[in-house]
Amino acid sequence: MSNHTDTIAAVATPSGRGGVGIIRISGALVPEIAQSILGDCPKPRYAVHRLFKDADGNTLDDGIALYFPTPHSFTGEHVLELQGHGGQVVLDMLLKRCVELGACLAQPGEFSERAFINEKVDLAQAEAIADLIDSASEQAARSALRSLQGDFSKQINQLLHYLIELRVYVEAALDFPEEEVDFLADKAIIHRLEQIKAALKDIFAQAKQGSLLRDGMNLVIAGRPNAGKSSLLNALAGDEVAIVTDIAGTTRDTVKERINLAGMPLHIIDTAGLRDSDDVVEQIGIQRAWKAIETADLVLVLRDHSLENEHQDQYEHIAILERIPSHLPQLIVHNKIDKSGHAAGIFDSEIYLSAKQGTGIEALKTALQEQVGYQSNSESNFLARRRHIIALEATQAAVQEAETQLRIFNAGELMAEELKTAQYALGQITGRYTPDDLLGEIFSSFCIGK
Amino acid sequence: MLNAQKYAVIVIGGGHAGTEAALASARMGVRTLLLTHNIETIGQMSCNPAIGGIGKGHLVKEIDALGGVMAHAADQGGIQFRTLNARKGPAVRATRAQTDRILFKAAILKQVQAQENLELFQQSVDDLIVEGETVKGVRTQMGMDIFADAVVLTVGTFLGGKIHIGLQNHQGGRAGDMPSIALAQRLRELPFHVARLKTGTPARIDARSIDYSKLQEQPGDTPTPVFSYLGSRADHPQQISCHITYTNPQTHDIIASGLDRSPMYSGEIEGIGPRYCPSIEDKIIRFADKDRHQIFVEPEGLNSYEIYPNGISTSLPFDVQYQFIRSIEGFEKAHITRPGYAIEYDFFDPKDLKPSLETKFIQGLYFAGQINGTTGYEEAAAQGLLAGANAALKIQEKEAWCPQRSEAYLGVLVDDLITNGTLEPYRMFTSRAEYRLLLREDNADMRLTEKGYELGLVSEQRWKAFSQKREAVEKEKQRFESLCIHPNMLSKEQEVALFDKPLSRAYHLSELLRRPNITYQMLVDLEAIGTEVRNPAVAEQVEIQFKYAGYIERQLLEIEKHKRNELTELAIDIDYQQVSGLSNEVRQKLSEHKPLSIGQASRISGVTPAAISLLLVYLKKQQLQSKVRQTNLETYGL
Ligand SMILES: Nc1nc2c(ncn2[C@@H]2O[C@H](COP(=O)(O)OP(=O)(O)OP(=O)(O)O)[C@@H](O)[C@H]2O)c(=O)[nH]1
Ligand SMILES: [Mg+2]
Repeated sequence: MSNHTDTIAAVATPSGRGGVGIIRISGALVPEIAQSILGDCPKPRYAVHRLFKDADGNTLDDGIALYFPTPHSFTGEHVLELQGHGGQVVLDMLLKRCVELGACLAQPGEFSERAFINEKVDLAQAEAIADLIDSASEQAARSALRSLQGDFSKQINQLLHYLIELRVYVEAALDFPEEEVDFLADKAIIHRLEQIKAALKDIFAQAKQGSLLRDGMNLVIAGRPNAGKSSLLNALAGDEVAIVTDIAGTTRDTVKERINLAGMPLHIIDTAGLRDSDDVVEQIGIQRAWKAIETADLVLVLRDHSLENEHQDQYEHIAILERIPSHLPQLIVHNKIDKSGHAAGIFDSEIYLSAKQGTGIEALKTALQEQVGYQSNSESNFLARRRHIIALEATQAAVQEAETQLRIFNAGELMAEELKTAQYALGQITGRYTPDDLLGEIFSSFCIGK
Repeated sequence: MLNAQKYAVIVIGGGHAGTEAALASARMGVRTLLLTHNIETIGQMSCNPAIGGIGKGHLVKEIDALGGVMAHAADQGGIQFRTLNARKGPAVRATRAQTDRILFKAAILKQVQAQENLELFQQSVDDLIVEGETVKGVRTQMGMDIFADAVVLTVGTFLGGKIHIGLQNHQGGRAGDMPSIALAQRLRELPFHVARLKTGTPARIDARSIDYSKLQEQPGDTPTPVFSYLGSRADHPQQISCHITYTNPQTHDIIASGLDRSPMYSGEIEGIGPRYCPSIEDKIIRFADKDRHQIFVEPEGLNSYEIYPNGISTSLPFDVQYQFIRSIEGFEKAHITRPGYAIEYDFFDPKDLKPSLETKFIQGLYFAGQINGTTGYEEAAAQGLLAGANAALKIQEKEAWCPQRSEAYLGVLVDDLITNGTLEPYRMFTSRAEYRLLLREDNADMRLTEKGYELGLVSEQRWKAFSQKREAVEKEKQRFESLCIHPNMLSKEQEVALFDKPLSRAYHLSELLRRPNITYQMLVDLEAIGTEVRNPAVAEQVEIQFKYAGYIERQLLEIEKHKRNELTELAIDIDYQQVSGLSNEVRQKLSEHKPLSIGQASRISGVTPAAISLLLVYLKKQQLQSKVRQTNLETYGL
């Protein structure tokens, strides 16, 4: 039916269906993947209850599995749907498992594209699919960028640069053996290989420490001083983790706390109140607050509702909202309703609560679950990062193999092949797919040719 | 008078592209005329007297696997053979032969003259006869019209050629020959895109004026490599050495002092030269920190007193050439026999060609060789062979043969050219081939000879030799896959010597061969194993195929992945404005390049994977729409 040889997988969680997360897999490998994760390939088109297992046989989640053999499926290929209960983290682990079993992460719009190519969608829908591919790829690029801010992306680019430099040496050695220097025997090659390995190690170490590999999402509470941010953290954590006083500017450094929301781990980050300050320590705290906001998966913008009609508060609140990058998912939370007298709950997608008395906290939790678990169709930061980790792991494996080929087999052309693979894998993070002008680099780096 | 006024195929030009084109078409049983302005120069090597090298050797083997003449002529004329990259792995190993110009040329001419269905005629071509959008023949300098259904144009650097020595320049095709000015003008009137390129050669030196005692000797390899699959060492003439010397700071000073009279730096030359073959003035300017550059002192032949100093091509004025050459070690008393020069020439943007090398605008007209922006005999010959074969296929009303990038360097060459064109003279390198591990010199016959036979390019004799080899390889491979070495089959000492430690279980020979330090020879040398294989090429195939197995599989998988894209055709007249979702940049690129397949489109620089998806959706939409129209027609008679 289809000529696609790739099997693709992605999280296909439709919005508005709380409590369920769906992974969709399409392609020839589906029966094998089903066998590995479920223990069997379910009867076609029947919803069956299964445990979803990881490589060691541990249960990741339990839920419903649906198998649609080709050609009677959404894409026209074999399709497997795994519907679990877990939040993003569990979905992510399942997705990772699919990749281990040979699937690729689906490109934006790829399911629909396959459906169309295999004539599963009618002509009228073609335009919509074109739009989808267009906007989805743009969205994915944006979210990749977002999760790649700052040092991380600098490091990736540095790594890419090292890799290209090394490839220039290796390719020069292969294509210009009559030059005076044998580039393969050159110390520079080993040196550059070591450089790349060190850079990769660094990135992984950082990724583990930092937000990249953490097993949860970052939820940042931000707002003016005294809005009740620390009080809200304590209310959500059910514990006095942060100091609460009525002095504006109490919180200086960011305070992190891990909580569990319906099985989904969340990292709640309390930050210093945002305002212009002459205090050096507070200034640093505010800088850190902004940094935390930029790497958030979701920002809770907290506001003292009892000050709603005050000019100063309105003005500063708007200034804060304007400064929060617009692509970041955010939720407006009005605090201190015990003072203002507003009813608790969700009104117009904004939350009204009292951190002190605990009213409205449940409403917030419900809203969080929806926001965090099921952010529309676009790829979340969190899953974008999964892409990067998979790409980095592929890069590392290829670099490792490149070294083996050089050291043990002394095989320059196989080393070159591995380095090409490494660069390609890394290119998936940065989106630089187009082939580089390696020959051009060779000619500008070395005096070559008769 | 000619034997006929009408041929099936006319090939214009007797260089490496022209001779391979004419031979290929004639081998396929098609009546062919080779027109050259000078029969004496058929098969002439106008630059340095060598065949092969990295990437180029690969092309020569492919030409040979398809029955072409180049490898044979290199065996007949080769006076120093080497295998480059011998220790770097089979995919990048390449054969190179220093050749005697006269012997090489004689071997080509002999083959051309002996070829059935092929006639030779000495006459310059002034014009093409084109009716509508179809070529009908050619008009020669003396006003003679010769008709044909297909014409292959292989006029090298002769179109609008301009030779520079210092600030002086004159029109010329190569030193000593006239350029084809009339034809160049005529072609500029046709709807092709023409641009200028540049290339250069060094001065030639009288070997008797060189002090060889100061030079480093570079002998050929032993055992001597052989080019043709049907060749043998017995074909080779006497073997001699090349030599190496170097420029020095004094040389560089002299060159620097003459730069104000260099046509390159005074802006006299507009064409772009090759970056991998820079002139000596380029080298000392761009890499000022290098205090010496290597020069290969290559003999022009066994009976020639001229040498070709490879590495110092130049277009500096003659007095500067004279001085700097004499500053080089061993060249102190050098007598220059011919000055070096740069040549500028027209080439046609190869983006105007189909993968068959037929032009997109004029049916039956094929371009091959340097006019397509390539450099090198091997690149030219490979294109010639392909163009000749496709011209013949057209006559036979058969589908063109367009080798894929995954099948042959020939496929890489043509696809690179027609997809992205070229800004400098295009030379083959192995790094251009994404399936480099599959496209090796050692397996060019395995990749192409069967196809060549099917097309009629390959003789019965070659086919038979090839089939025997292929069978022997298969048989030996099967034996290696079924035969095991059991523990205790060998002595403990033998096991340790071979495998570092005693064998703990039975291993298939194929498994053992994959180990880094084990060779085919080591295994068959064991008394218990032995072999009936006598042909070293068979042994080599078995060894490489097992050793590379993992990577070969990986690349085959890659090819499979891209196959759909390669097979999905794009019409030339697609209006890319109508494809929704594409960015303006991509639209412009696609409209300009007019790719013929999705695969080709994906290789145009700047075309993103998302754009490819959008194209696929667009194609599908067109297909569905025409289906709907068809149904309407049938159902309602609309
Ligand atoms: N009435 C009422 N008071 C509250 C509520 N939440 C917080 N407060 C009070 O508001 C004051 C500031 O609370 P914090 O939680 O320290 O505020 P913050 O936003 O962390 O302040 P900074 O760390 O200084 O930026 C404290 O006195 C809290 O007791 C609430 O829901 N109702
Ligand atoms: Mg606080």
